[in-house]
Amino acid sequence: MAERRPSGINSRRPSVIPYLAGIEKPVLPSIPSQCDVLICGTGLVESILAAALAWQGSRVLHVDANPYYGDTCATLTIEQIKAWCASVNDGSSGFQGFSKAMLHIPYPHRLNSRDYGIDLSPRVLFAKSDLLSLLINSRVYRYLEFQSLSNFHTFENDTFGKMLSTKEEIFTDQSMTLASKRQLMKMMKFVLEYDLPENKEELETHMHEPFTDYVSNRFHLSSQQINELCYALGLAPKPDISTIQGLSRVRRYLVSFNIYGNFPTLYSKYGGPGEISQGFCRSAAVAGATYKLDCALKSFDPDTKTATFEDGSKVKISEKVVCSPSQAPEGSRNVPERNYEITRLITIVEKSCKEWFAEGESAALVVFPPKSLPSNNQFPVQSIIMGSGTGCCPKDQCVWYLSTIEQGERGRRDLESALKKMEESILRESEDGGFDVELTESDVAVQANGGISVINSVKLGKSFKGFVPKEKLTYLLKLMFTQYTSVAPFGVVSNAVFEKAEENDHPGNGPDLKVIYSSMPSTEISYDGVVTEARLLYSKIVGSDDDFFDVDFEDDEDYEHGPSSESAIVDDAEEFQPEMAFEL
Amino acid sequence: MSSSLGSEHRFAQFKLVLLGESAVGKSSIVQRFVKDSFSDFRESTIGAAFLTQTVDLDANTTVKFEIWDTAGQERYRSLASIYYRNAQAALVVYDITQESSLDKAKYWIKELQKQARGGIIIALVGNKTDLEQERKVSSEEAESFAKGLGLLYFEVSAKSGTGVRECFKQIALKMPIEDSLRKRRERKSRTVDLNKRPSTNEQQCAC
Ligand SMILES: Nc1nc2c(ncn2[C@@H]2O[C@H](COP(=O)(O)OP(=O)(O)OP(=O)(O)O)[C@@H](O)[C@H]2O)c(=O)[nH]1
Ligand SMILES: [Mg+2]
Repeated sequence: MAERRPSGINSRRPSVIPYLAGIEKPVLPSIPSQCDVLICGTGLVESILAAALAWQGSRVLHVDANPYYGDTCATLTIEQIKAWCASVNDGSSGFQGFSKAMLHIPYPHRLNSRDYGIDLSPRVLFAKSDLLSLLINSRVYRYLEFQSLSNFHTFENDTFGKMLSTKEEIFTDQSMTLASKRQLMKMMKFVLEYDLPENKEELETHMHEPFTDYVSNRFHLSSQQINELCYALGLAPKPDISTIQGLSRVRRYLVSFNIYGNFPTLYSKYGGPGEISQGFCRSAAVAGATYKLDCALKSFDPDTKTATFEDGSKVKISEKVVCSPSQAPEGSRNVPERNYEITRLITIVEKSCKEWFAEGESAALVVFPPKSLPSNNQFPVQSIIMGSGTGCCPKDQCVWYLSTIEQGERGRRDLESALKKMEESILRESEDGGFDVELTESDVAVQANGGISVINSVKLGKSFKGFVPKEKLTYLLKLMFTQYTSVAPFGVVSNAVFEKAEENDHPGNGPDLKVIYSSMPSTEISYDGVVTEARLLYSKIVGSDDDFFDVDFEDDEDYEHGPSSESAIVDDAEEFQPEMAFEL
Repeated sequence: MSSSLGSEHRFAQFKLVLLGESAVGKSSIVQRFVKDSFSDFRESTIGAAFLTQTVDLDANTTVKFEIWDTAGQERYRSLASIYYRNAQAALVVYDITQESSLDKAKYWIKELQKQARGGIIIALVGNKTDLEQERKVSSEEAESFAKGLGLLYFEVSAKSGTGVRECFKQIALKMPIEDSLRKRRERKSRTVDLNKRPSTNEQQCAC
């Protein structure tokens, strides 16, 4: 460690800058009169598309009706959230695709607006996923900061458990019999190998039967284990998934493990999709795209190929107009149907919630499988927990993002029910002073390399029954709303969505004739599907996706990151665990 | 740490952003600083927007700047919040031969006050001193403005190179190096460098 030395050169005078009075905003230059592609809305899909097109050589004009980036997946401050809710509820154009925004801020003076970054559609990033590869290939990752997320909790029988997902954990767990360990391992092996030729027949026979039936018949797993596989590891948004869906979901988790370290997922600091959108927009700008916020599309005339904006300015477009449904012009007629709903409940609580995070981390996932809540939920409730270390809220606070694809009143009830369980859980765990209190030596497994890694998960998730909290949890903000999307749960974006407007060829058909619409953020809690949609839109415009981000970054001086450490984990290099041999 | 010098080598990295009107020479200043070159016919910035350069403060201290050029997003005042995020230094550039560019610079300083973190070091930089005969903004005027706000002030020429290195060196001297080293040591949350995949599954235990 470097010794600390007194040093004159570092005595820094913080520059306190007095307020500058009387400086007029400079007059803006007018927007370019021509472009190849106009994109309206700076959500993640649109931003990836803008960057891909700009690097391919198209002249892109990318606008957003709002004064901030991110559109449907923006990361907002408290003041922006307030304005957003008002706009959603009065049906302002620019906010379509959302409804029933309910906001409650009990102690307004306790929230300093700019200390918060609240995601409209939070997501987690699997370490092995197409978005992650794209972040690297496009160099966009350089603009962002990523942190690991290890803990996937499942709520079951009134308790929180942490899924045993690594081989070490399974081997060293004391609550499982040897036979059941072996079955679980066998199952995981099959997950990784189901597409090998020797498993073809097995897979084809069972592919379409319910995943739960298949794993319980074939591997004799307990219903709790099955729930964990399905809803925690697999993050399935609905019950009754097929075997192939289940297998691919669990595989997504397993193959992401140990890519960067012993965790399956990551998230971008300071905000999820909202930050990543900004990264891609910057990349697009670097490649020559023009950006203008606060600029709403009023109409597009396909005959003259002219788009008109609300401020009266016009631009001629040689190729296509792509628009997020949220920013469709007033009076539009061709916005694709959005038949699927996501209900979201976002809260800021006055608790660090560190009890839920893995050592050194600041975020976790909690899932409530179907029928696990007093509301008798038909669909799972998924929640992302973001502590202050994520840069999204101040110290000793935490943001909880709950969501479900259950519709309407039922969806809202399920979310409230899940929220109550989370409240009970965090109060109990924090009153106990965290996990350490009840652990005896037999709950802690010592690994071969001397590291202590596993603690008894059942004990940790001790039932809430009979627990009466001494204190109440303070909610600083509660926001509930419904979002609509064209993407079916588990579905992949379909080209038909983009084609709809194009087919509509009769005249007098609104201000959005021939506008290609994107499909709004999907119900998926990971980033899966985002790159696929951007690629589809790209092919639609360019003709094929062969050169999608096929960029040779010349300026690419070897990007060394200061004094290098062996591990990907910049701040904590020693954490790394050797992989255990995969053997049955 | 890789350095095997007698005493521990101090290395700290800081994000520096550029702001200012189009064509004042922001990219040219960066090009001079990073590549020690200049081109008379620069296009408006596209292409490079993420450059790094180090400044050695003394035998034991290196400061690395991660330099963010605006990439044109400022043209319609559409800079993203990631641009300002964690910026520890800002170069607000004007052209000494264009009076209006100083007004724009003032606007950007105001914007930095609103958007950037407190404690950011801001330098007001008058560029193109090689065009002394066309000067429209006097040094006194700009300097007294800068000093009044507690900003650093420099005049440079990206074309001749005059003043450019000195400007970055002075900024480097103002960077909170100890702070940054301490934070790196203390930091709890794990930041993952996506460009490093240690586990091709044969990760050796380094204990
Ligand atoms: N004489 C002279 N010309 C300069 C100097 N610095 C830049 N220029 C010229 O000024 C023009 C604009 O320079 P850039 O570096 O592209 O300016 P910029 O601020 O990056 O412009 P944008 O990217 O459009 O915002 C170019 O033609 C440069 O050659 C200088 O110190 N002296
Ligand atoms: Mg430039």
